[in-house]
Amino acid sequence: MAVGAAQVGAKAGLNGRVRGGLKRVLGPDHRMGYLFVTPIFFFVLSLVGYPFCYAIYLSMTHKLVGLPPVFVGFENYVRLTWDGFFQRAVVNSFIFTFGSVGFKLVLGVVMALVLMSPIRWRSFWTGVLLIPWVAPTVVSALNFLWIFDGSLGVLNYLLVRVFHVLPQGIGWLSEPGTAMASVVAVNIWRGFPFFGISFLAAMKAIPAELYEAAAVDGATTLQRFRHVTLPGIRNIMIIVVLLSTIWTFNDFQIVYILTKGGPGGTTMVMPVLTYETAFGAQRLGEAIAVALYLLPVLAVTIMVLARYMRRGRKR
Amino acid sequence: MDRRLSELADQLAAGVIARREFLRRAAVVTGGTAAGLHVLRRMASAQSGPKLRVWLFKSYVTAGNEILARHVETWAKERKVQLEIDWATFGDREEKFVPAIEAGNPPDIAEMNYQGPLRYRPALREVTKLAKEIAEARGGLLPYADRVMQLNGQYFGVARQAFGAGLHIRKDLLAEKGLKLPKVYDPDVIDVAKKCQDPSKDLWGFGQTLNRCDDGNGFMQNILWDYGGSAWDKDGKPALATTFLKENTAALQFAVDTIQKHKIQPPGVMAWTDPSNNEAYMAGKLVSTNNGASLYYAMVSKKHALADKTQVVLTPGGPAGSFIFSGTYNWGIFKASKHADLCEDLVRWVEDEKRFEEYMKSSIGQAGAVYKARAEHPYWKTDPNFEGMLQNILRSVWPGYPGPITPAAIEVQAQYILCDMAGRVVVGGLSPEAALKEAHKRIEDVYRIRSRA
Repeated sequence: MAVGAAQVGAKAGLNGRVRGGLKRVLGPDHRMGYLFVTPIFFFVLSLVGYPFCYAIYLSMTHKLVGLPPVFVGFENYVRLTWDGFFQRAVVNSFIFTFGSVGFKLVLGVVMALVLMSPIRWRSFWTGVLLIPWVAPTVVSALNFLWIFDGSLGVLNYLLVRVFHVLPQGIGWLSEPGTAMASVVAVNIWRGFPFFGISFLAAMKAIPAELYEAAAVDGATTLQRFRHVTLPGIRNIMIIVVLLSTIWTFNDFQIVYILTKGGPGGTTMVMPVLTYETAFGAQRLGEAIAVALYLLPVLAVTIMVLARYMRRGRKR
Repeated sequence: MDRRLSELADQLAAGVIARREFLRRAAVVTGGTAAGLHVLRRMASAQSGPKLRVWLFKSYVTAGNEILARHVETWAKERKVQLEIDWATFGDREEKFVPAIEAGNPPDIAEMNYQGPLRYRPALREVTKLAKEIAEARGGLLPYADRVMQLNGQYFGVARQAFGAGLHIRKDLLAEKGLKLPKVYDPDVIDVAKKCQDPSKDLWGFGQTLNRCDDGNGFMQNILWDYGGSAWDKDGKPALATTFLKENTAALQFAVDTIQKHKIQPPGVMAWTDPSNNEAYMAGKLVSTNNGASLYYAMVSKKHALADKTQVVLTPGGPAGSFIFSGTYNWGIFKASKHADLCEDLVRWVEDEKRFEEYMKSSIGQAGAVYKARAEHPYWKTDPNFEGMLQNILRSVWPGYPGPITPAAIEVQAQYILCDMAGRVVVGGLSPEAALKEAHKRIEDVYRIRSRA
């Protein structure tokens, strides 16, 4: 009884502290705050919270098209864990993502440095380099499908007929060594301008005095880049890399249009596998399990991103 | 703005009427107009009849698509039905059906492929009476089509057509070399391909992808049967790496050999999708390729130079015979429809023999027979290339053969498991036995999951 009373007292004290805190922050109209926040709260709950929770529930069901879901607990996740096809898709997803992001990072820095240098028609080149980013992904991917075509593609035509580099065309999207490299290349082509333009903005914000001081101290170009430019764009670089990692990991269009995950699952990545499981196999519960399987990894990535963004703002 | 409201506004501005009087009169005018419009709308909809949502299948044979749409529209006009036609095609049919069914908003009636009756059965209306009525008036369903349309005697689709197909081969090149038309893959197709191809001119003997697409799926399934194997046994249980391991290994080895050993396939063939071989053949880069009649249709309708140089023959076979699968397109009526009678009437209308004849003739071999009477139509004698297409259809079997057609057999097709199996050998470097065992495990999973459902 005494314990109960103590708990009630503690609870009342906590509530009082919270109320007092709210009152202190929001002022005398603090009750109005609830009124304003309530619609947004329900809006977010209905459009984000409910679908997300429902997706988690469905991922734990055996759900076929047109039939009610049957709860199976973690069976879908366990099955996927030991499924070789799924395991390859996970590995491919990481190769695709980190292969792409790594190259995009390097190319983005190079693009930004070139556009920072006093070249002629800089605005024009900036516009040209942004074309891959601006063009719809479907259009780009369909163009690359034609470019890479083994029989009728322009790449083989140039290499074999025009420049005589190869005696015979290569199946860019059908050979083990080139299929993944080709889809990664298209992703790099499409994504590096975002890196470049972001880094360019960050470089322009670095005070010129820092470069002048470094030059006075006798720093070489490489040293200026390492000790002035890189630290100056570090925060933007982290944010861009993290954003691109999330986008690339979830990239569906390029792989689906170019290879559909083939041949033999060589380029099967998680978003394509999700799609194939949902519409090909028509096992909706399992498809959602595929989509949610690596959610914790992405969630950590997002948390890191948010942390850096907040830290950047405080500075 | 409405003239009366405009006048009221002028009066208000001139101070002729008070603001309150303006509001009162404006409310009367607006409310009266809204009520009038509502009544008119109800009268209009009462006169225009019920509304029907119809999904048609858009094939590569554009003339046939147009004729079918016209038939449906004429029916709607005759019956005073409001029509909402939408199209699904090879790349987006499942993407349309799955969300529509899950949202409880499917069309009233849809032209489905062979997978539809089994896959969408929970959402489909049983149409046994209509299916039998249509079939009996046309001499009965051909066996392969009958298998696909029903489950335990209950029909969930009314058969319409099966796409004619065959080996499209350059008869001019064969004549140059004095070669005969091939009947089996090994050695006939291999010999013809090797003797006619010229890689230095980018001309390849055989164009047949094993990649994840309908063409790859069809070939892989047929070749297993041709070698006496199958993914399924007679009871409908997985048999890829068990009952038929020996036969399936030989079949898979042959499929892979066309690329790796015999080198009769063009570079990049493992990345092909359904239209790729059509494009390569019409570009003069292939001596032969397996395809649906849409390739022949494209050449004839465009008066392509290769149309006259092409012979369409029976799909070649293997040691166990020559097997082929033909997918039956069909009409499915959804349970959610409030106009099932109208849907049935529409099916009778479009399947009317005169209308189907017009459609069939425009399709240049693609509108293959699913009914016995249609198989005997004199149209099939009008072009020597139709003979191979028709015979292919008449000897067709079904997914799951030699067992029954099952949802698991359909899913194995839909997941391209056999294509992945071939890809694992050609690209992944696995041995045929290892690839078969890997694919068998996936098929067992499908079987287990679907059996439970």
